[in-house]
This record gives sequence, structure tokens and C-alpha cells, in this order.
Amino acid sequence: MGNKQSIFTAQQLDAYQVVKCFCRLSRLFYRYRDLAPQLVPLDYTKQPDVKLPYELIGSMPELKDNPFRQRIAEVFSEDGEGNMSLDDFLDMFSVLSEMAPRDLKAYYAFKIYDFNNDDFICKSDLEKTLNKLTRSELTEDEVKMVCEKVMDEADLDNDGRLSLEDFQHMIVRAPDFLSTFHIRI
Amino acid sequence: MTSYSSRGFFNAAYHDSETLEMDRRSGTKPPHTNPYAREEPVRWGGRLGGRDEAAWGATDGGLQDESRRGRDHITTGAGAPPFPHQPYHNRFQADNRYNQRPQARLPSLVSDNMTMRLRGIAMRRMSMFPHASPADVDLTENAIREEMENDEQNLMKELVSMSTLEQTRAIRELTMSFEAKKRIRNKVLAFRSVKKSHEFTWFAELSENTSLFFRRCGYTMRSARQALELWHGIMKEIGGKFGSSVLTYFMFLKWLLLFNIFSFVVNFSFITVPLLVYDPNITSSVSFRGLELLTGAGYFTHTVMYYGAYSNETLKHGVEYNLQLAYFFTIAVYMVLCGIALIFSMASSFKKNFVLVDPASTSAWQLLCSWDFSVTSEKTVTQRKNNLRVQLKESLSEKAQQELLTVPEKLKHFGIHFCSWLVSTALVVGCAASIFFLCQYEGKLFSQWGPGAASLQQEAETLLVPFMVSLMNLVIPLFFSLFNKLEHYSNNRSQIYTLVVRNVFLRMSILGVLCYYWMNEVSLRSPSQCWESMVGQALYRLVIVDFFFQMLGSFFGEFLRNVIGTKLHRRLGPPEFDVARNVLDLIYAQTLAWIGIYFSPLLPSIQILKFFILFYLKKVSLTQNCQPPRRTGRAAQMQTIFIFLLFFPFFVGAISIVGYTSWSLNPSQNCGPFRGLNQAFSVVEIWIEGLHILPGSGWAVWIYKNIIRSEIFYFLITLIILGVTYVFYQLIQGRKELIGLLKQRIINEGKDKSFLLDKIQNLQSSRPKKDTRQSKDGRSSHQPSLGGHSDAVRQALLARQQAEQEEATYSDGVSVPADISTSSALMQAMLARQRAERETEDLYQRVEDPPSSFTALSLAMEARQRAEGEMLQDNSREGDFYENPTTASSAVSQAIQARLRAEEEASASSAMMQVMKARQQAEQEAGMQWTDVQLQNPAVSSSSAVAQAMQARLRAEEELPASSVMMQVMQARQQAEQEAGMEWAHVQPQNPAAAGSSALIQAMLARQQAQNEYDDGY
Repeated sequence: MGNKQSIFTAQQLDAYQVVKCFCRLSRLFYRYRDLAPQLVPLDYTKQPDVKLPYELIGSMPELKDNPFRQRIAEVFSEDGEGNMSLDDFLDMFSVLSEMAPRDLKAYYAFKIYDFNNDDFICKSDLEKTLNKLTRSELTEDEVKMVCEKVMDEADLDNDGRLSLEDFQHMIVRAPDFLSTFHIRI
Repeated sequence: MTSYSSRGFFNAAYHDSETLEMDRRSGTKPPHTNPYAREEPVRWGGRLGGRDEAAWGATDGGLQDESRRGRDHITTGAGAPPFPHQPYHNRFQADNRYNQRPQARLPSLVSDNMTMRLRGIAMRRMSMFPHASPADVDLTENAIREEMENDEQNLMKELVSMSTLEQTRAIRELTMSFEAKKRIRNKVLAFRSVKKSHEFTWFAELSENTSLFFRRCGYTMRSARQALELWHGIMKEIGGKFGSSVLTYFMFLKWLLLFNIFSFVVNFSFITVPLLVYDPNITSSVSFRGLELLTGAGYFTHTVMYYGAYSNETLKHGVEYNLQLAYFFTIAVYMVLCGIALIFSMASSFKKNFVLVDPASTSAWQLLCSWDFSVTSEKTVTQRKNNLRVQLKESLSEKAQQELLTVPEKLKHFGIHFCSWLVSTALVVGCAASIFFLCQYEGKLFSQWGPGAASLQQEAETLLVPFMVSLMNLVIPLFFSLFNKLEHYSNNRSQIYTLVVRNVFLRMSILGVLCYYWMNEVSLRSPSQCWESMVGQALYRLVIVDFFFQMLGSFFGEFLRNVIGTKLHRRLGPPEFDVARNVLDLIYAQTLAWIGIYFSPLLPSIQILKFFILFYLKKVSLTQNCQPPRRTGRAAQMQTIFIFLLFFPFFVGAISIVGYTSWSLNPSQNCGPFRGLNQAFSVVEIWIEGLHILPGSGWAVWIYKNIIRSEIFYFLITLIILGVTYVFYQLIQGRKELIGLLKQRIINEGKDKSFLLDKIQNLQSSRPKKDTRQSKDGRSSHQPSLGGHSDAVRQALLARQQAEQEEATYSDGVSVPADISTSSALMQAMLARQRAERETEDLYQRVEDPPSSFTALSLAMEARQRAEGEMLQDNSREGDFYENPTTASSAVSQAIQARLRAEEEASASSAMMQVMKARQQAEQEAGMQWTDVQLQNPAVSSSSAVAQAMQARLRAEEELPASSVMMQVMQARQQAEQEAGMEWAHVQPQNPAAAGSSALIQAMLARQQAQNEYDDGY
């Protein structure tokens, strides 16, 4: 605690702890700071406006090899371009932590898969996901077939795209999601 | 909503000044003076009028009122005038300021700061207008914003009415950014502090402070626990390299390790420590030879390791400590606690992982849910990508394959299944039987030993049974997996489950046979010897040998397999980590420990060591030898199944064996805590009888007699549990039905939605089309083509016809107002003609085809003449025309103007053009003046004006470089017109209107003549 108190005020700590889903705060802070020690001050009581560029965030070992790293950074950063403040950073790892509730995870996973930000996972989003997950090695026909199958299985209201409700419905039936949508810090 | 995230509320100064404690303080202090009491009735009416008095008693109602008031405040806060001299309201205004801010961005862009429900609404709205234009969005935006605000208010209401714990959880679950959550929380806290401020404040403050204190403590504890978390780094590494399915094994191992640590601590502190304190000189007479570490016999036989060494005495060091009771209750409580922990983790795991599992959606699952975000190694990522690709391809081709199955093939599959089940069952039975006979053989060997210390060889012989058991446990599963490869399974999961079931069957039967042997043969055979210690030793040997075999297993199964796979048969590749087999090994080992806890209370210590070493061993073996699993099975489900297996056959089996031993078997007469008793359980009986003497312990005796010893109680309990289970089963069935119905409904609503969307789209697309068609029509009428001239002319004619018809109706004596329509009809006619003439002119100019242009021109002229004639006739015929001179004259003037224009356009040749222009000017002036004069002061100036006009025209016409013929014509016309003008001038003073008309007629006629002449001349 001694360390933390010099980084954050007690009120900040309290707010973080109530609002966050877990409290590995100091560890996360130092991870954040290690990305750019010269940029991030050790004293956060004054709420400095520091943002780390996506290049630094994406080079974290936890994200480096993740095919969705750019999407993750975009979704959680406030400017939508992957540049993250400490709050964004904490947001990201609290959603990706073990203790985050299912709905929260599902919501952000949905956003990550929604490449064109239109609040629906449409076929183009699925194709992008598929290409990211298979290194673009499937033929076009196969990609199309897989996407159609996915739509067939998950699209309950038959509007040709997956809404958040469809996605959540699918997540509920796929319990592994909770353990796989999880980055250990 | 976007405005929430940015400035104002969250700037540093605000944040630093208005933090939680301060909120609370500012909220709780004012009510000491309570300046708002008199305002309340005004503001909230009678509903809250008496709440100051009622606040103490009716907490429920008070709370409701509070929350309702909170709501009121939210809803009215934005618009209502601010309360004077109320410090906390200023803060509300600060909050509400955000509600009032105009929302500039489109709802679809407003993403981060909305709650899930808000988002849902926005999405629904947007999905109603999938191809909406920005205008439509503007229309709906207000509605969306309103609804979002409402929703946020509802959310606030809910949050305010929750307890602190629930509230925290609810806030955490909101899908908003950290900033937004913080804002919501501060708002809620502000409301709460207001609420609290009306109750007795010192108590509220105290409770808030204590809750804050406890919360802080909780956080500190939790962070400390997380910092101390065992093997966190290793877990992360394994998860990063091998994914979460392999990690399941290590989590399971850790979990079991914690169980054992707990049991060791309990047993050691409640059973062993008192004994050691009481009698520290328990040492074995036999010297230590080293082999004891494997066999557990010899030196260890008479140590605290086993049942036999424990005393049945009651320690008296100030407090009485009954070792018998301690032994019995410690083990009983430990077993019960284990059971409860297992049931709870099993139930929660079931709830999480098995409630709605739908095996049908494999592709969607593979694509969207199966990616393991915890994987961090590049190699694994590429491998996973490859695996996923292969799996997707397989799943695409699977459908085609399934349909090809014929009846003989199915029969063949069935036959293979049947055979493999038969063979594996036979194997299991054979193993069980051989172990039983082996045990009997070993028993005979033991009975031949003398009572003294056994020789080394004899001691080593005791290892035969555990060796065989462990060997079977190692080898038979290999056969099972061989069968599994031969069999054909429709999906991966049933294959794994079959394998698991067979393995469980094997281990259960082996353990069952061993237990049967211990219970029925060992316990009866040697009442003089300490049979519990012998069983304990046997279990110890099993645990130790199993440990060695697990090491061997990972050596052969993983290391050698890796060497073979990478060096000899490269096609095989490095092995995969078999999670199912390894977890079953762990379950088996843990079952041994559970059974052994009665016979050897310190067996958990061995188990702890074993698991600890095993963890590192497996970790090293995994990282050195294995590759990540090719099939990313549903790890969470497998984990649930493992926990279930651990509970159901194994833990239940262990607890029933321990129970049977203590309830029904005779304990050894010469050793152990229960020596001299018929059953271990009698210790409780004796204790209860002893309690009779103590006053005030009647209830314990009553409980013992009426509950624990009564069959009726258990009978009733069983009945009740069965009934409850049945009710829950029915509930589950009902829910399943409901889920099916709801699913159907979702599908139906989706159909409805798409249907309605189609309709809307149709409507939207049909309306603009109409518009364009109209505009196209308009354009086409303005864009003449060569072929369209006749059309133009025809239109002109049609228009004229219309005008004529209208005029005809007018002339039939329809009343006055019709003249407006007449003039408009005239106008139309003129315009139409004009258009026609313009077109003909264009044609003439472009094509330079005199005859056709002539005909067109002549047509136009004709039309004009006719129109003029009609107009004139109209003028002359209609008596009541002059009753309304203004409109008539204006109509006439309009008509003339139109004609002029038409003429201007129609004149093709330059001369004619000029002539026409000049005439037009003159006529225009004349007409204008005429109308002017008629309107204002008809009598005086009109004649002069007309004369002037005529003169001007004359002049103009004179100036024209016309041909002689033209000149003559013009002159003639001029004369005629002059005459007309004169006449008109004469007549006017008397009856301006009538004269005007006749003059006009004459003038027109003259002009017509002149034109005729001109035409001729031309």
C-alpha cells in the first residue's frame, strides 16, 4: 500500500477499486509505466494527461502475438485509435481479467469483432475475423461457407448480421468464452 | 452522452475537490440544521410530508420514498429551478448540466459511455432504419436521446435503491468506460448522501465509515492474497504457451493441493499436536532403514503417521482434551467440509458451464468464442491458427460425410463399439480379480511372518500390490486409448467422454476391490494386530508408488514419445499433453488420500509433497516435450466434468468407506484411539452419556437421541430431499420448455422485423421514385427533341382546346368568378403556344428547313390568331366582362404579353424579328398604358397614352430598314391603327370600356389585315 499511496490518492484508489473488477492495481500501473518510463510519471495524484501510443501498447508481450491486438487497443482506447491513457489501460485489463462478469466480456468481445463499428457483426466482420484467425489460408469459397454457417447458427432473428443480443446468446451457450477471453497479467 | 466523458465533471480540479469522503461529508452535515424541512411539502407534496417523523420507524417506506424522491429529483432536476442555499443541489446541477448539453453526434457514434441497455436501445433504433439517411437519423435522434436519458435515470434509480454491495457489483457490470462508471458512482453516492442526510446522521456517518473501513480492509486482503497467489507466473506462462485447456490440469492440481494443505493443517493441529504435547516420546523401536520411505512400514509403523499410534486418553492440562473425540470429529468435520466445498464448486461450475450448452453451434463457437486470448507465444499462435483452419475445413466436410453413412457401416460402427466396450469391461474385471487374488496372496504371506520385525525382502514384497495396481493404472488406459482410435465417433466430445468413462470405471473397480479386501479380510483377520495401521501403510504405499508411476508416465508418455516423435518418426511430431488422463490420475491420487485420512491422518502431508513435486515435474515435462493440443476442446466443460467425477464416484466412495469403517467395523483392540470400543462411533455415545451429568447440555443429548440416532429423521430427510429434487427437476423441465418457446419467439420476431424492414424499404424507395418521375416529366417537356415538336404543338393545341372549353363554359353564362379561371386558361393557352412557337423556332434555326418551319410558324400564327379571335370574341360577347374590368383587362394584358413574347420567339427571319420587336414594344406600352389608364383614371390620359404609344411604334417601325413592301404594309397598318386610336380616343370619354373594346377590336382587325398583307408581301 505504501507504494500505491504515493502514486494515487486514497480517493482515486477507492474509486478504482469500486469500479474496477479486480484490484491488481499496482501491478498494472507498473506494467503501464514500464512501457514508457520516461513518459509516465510515478505520481498520479494530479491526474496527468498521459497517453501511450498504440505502438507501445501493442508491443506488450501479452498482446504482441494476439491477432486482435489492434482491435483490442482500438476498442478500449478513448480516441478509438489505440492510444491509451492509464484509465483505458486499466479498463482493458479489468475487462480481460478473470473476475469480469460475462456480460461485460461479451460486450467488449462483440466490439472487438465488430471491425467496422456499425454495432453489428456482419459478414465482412466475420471474414476479417476468420482471416485473422487462419492467416488467410482458406479459399474464398471456404471463407464464405464458414461465414454462412456461423450466421446460420448464431443469427437468431435472421437479419443477416449478428446483433449484440445474438452474440450474447451465443456466449451464454459457450462457457469456455469466459476462460478464453482472458489475459493474465 | 458523449459529453459526459469529456470536460467539466472530470477535470482534475473537480475530481480532487469532490471526492467520495467529501461528498459524504457535505451531504451529511447540513441536516443538523435541516433547512429543507419546510420546503419539502411544497416540493414533494403530501406524499413525503410526514417523512421526518416517520423516518425512524418505517424504514421500508422511507427507503421507497427516498428512492422515489431521488427519481423525482433526477427527472425534474434538469428543468426545475435550483434550490437556493442548498449545497448539495449545486452538485446536482453540475451533474445535470450534462443532461442538458446538446448532443451533437449521431447515436451510432455515441459508444463508449452508454450502458448496455442504452446501447441496446440505440442499436434497436438504428436497426430499424438500416439504410436511413441522415435526415431520418436526425428525426430519430431526439427520440433515442430521450430514451437514453430515461434509461439512465432508471439506472440511477435502481442503483440508488440497492444495497452498497449490490450497487458496487452492478456498477462493475456496467459496460461503460472507467470514467463513466466513476461518474455514475459519484452520482449515486451523492444521492445516497442526500438520502442519508435526512436520517439520523451520526449513525449514518458511522455506518458509512465502518463500511468504508471494511471495504478497504477487504481490498487490502484481496490484493495481498493475489500477491501471494501460488504459481501465478508459471500459470501465466503455461496459459500463454499451451492455452487454457492444458491450464485446466494445473488449476486442478493447485486446487487439490489446497485441499490437502487444509486437511494437513486441520489434522496436524487437532490430532497430532495434542498427542505430541502430551506424549512426545512416541518413537519406534525399529531402526530406520530407508526402505520405509517407500513402504511406509517398519520405522513408520508406530509413529503418528498411522492410526495405531494415537492414544485414547483424555489430556488434562488445565483443559480436558479427549483425543478420541478429537480424532473422530476432526476427520468427520474435514470430510464434511470437503464435501461441501466440492458440492459448491461443482454447482457453480455446472451453473456457469452447463446451463445452456448448445452443441449445435460449433462453427460460430469456433470462430467467435474459441480464440484463446491468453495465448502469448508466437509459435503457439501460429499453431492455433493452423489447427483452427484444419478444424474449420473438417467441419465443412463433416456434413457431407455424415450423410454417406449406410446401414452396414452403421452396423459396423455399432459392432466395434460393442466389442471395445466388452473388451474393456473384461479388462477391468480381470484387473480387479487379479488384484483381489494378489491381495489374498500377500495376506497369506504376511500371516506367515513372525511377530517381529520383517526382513528387508519381506518388506519389499509388500510393494508388490501397489506396484501392480499402479502398473495397471498406467497400462490399461493405453489399451483404452487404442480402442478409442479404432472406434468411430461422430464427434470429438463423445470420444473423450467414452475414454474418461472407461478410465473411471477401471479406477473405481480397482479401488473398490482394494477397499473390499481391507474392510472384509484385513479387519477381520488379525484383531490382535493393528489392522488400521496396516491399511494405512497399504494406502501410503499406493500413494508413493502411484507418484513414481506418474513420474514414469510423464517420462515414457511425454519424454520418450517426444524423442520418438522428433527423432525417429518425424511424422508423429511431439506429443500432446493428455489432460483427461492426467486429471484422472490426480483424482485417483486424491481419492487414496481421502480414504487414507482415517487410517493415516498425516497422509495429506505426503500428498502435499507429491502434488508439489508433480506440479513442477509436469510443468517441465510439458514445456520441454509437448506441443499445444491440436483440438481445443471445451476446457471449461471438461473441468466441470472432472470436478463432478471427483465428487461423485470418488469422494462419495471415500466418504462411504470411512463412514462404514467408523460405524460398522470393530476397531483394533490394542492400538489406536478407539481401542476397546465396538465401533469408532461409540465414542460419541459415550461422550453424550457423559454429557448427562453436565447441566445445561440437555439439548445436545436431545439432538443426539432424536436426530442422529433416529432412523425416522433420516427417513424424513431423505423424503424431503427427494421431493425437493423432484420439484427442481420439474422446474428445470419447465424452464427448458420456456427457453424453447422464447427462442422460437426471438426467431419469429426476427422474421417480423425483416418483414417490416422490407416494407419500410419498399415505401422509402417508392416515394423518391415518384418524385423523380415527375421531375423527369417536367424536364422532358423542357427538352425538345426533333421528334417532339409535333408533341409540343399538340400540347399547345391541347392547352388551347382546354382554354377554349373553359371559355366556352364561361361564355355559357357561368357566374363572375369564373373569369379568373378564364384568364388563367388563356394564360395557359398562351404559354403553351409560346412554348410551341419556341420549339418551332428552335427547329427552324437548327435544321434550317424552311418548309417545316413555315408550317410550324404558320401553325403557331394560326393558333395565335384563333386565340386572339376568341379572346376578342370573348371580350365583345360577354357583357358582364366589364363588370369586372380589372381582371379582364389584366387577363387581356397578360394574354397580349404572352402573345408578344410568343411572337418574339416565333419570328424567324431577322426582319420579321425586328418588326415584331418594335411592334411588341409598342403594343406592350400601349397595353400597359391602357390597363393603367383604365384602372386609375380612364377618361383623360388614355387616348394620349395610346396615341403616344402608336407614335412610338410608328417611329420604331419607320426606323426599320424594311423593304418597300414592308413599308407599305406598315404604313397601312399604321393608318389603320391610327384610325383605331382616334376612334378609341373619341369614344372613350363616353363609355371608356365599351369604346375601348370596339377600338381594340378594330385595331386588332387592322393588325390582322396588315399582317395578312405582310404575309402576302413576304
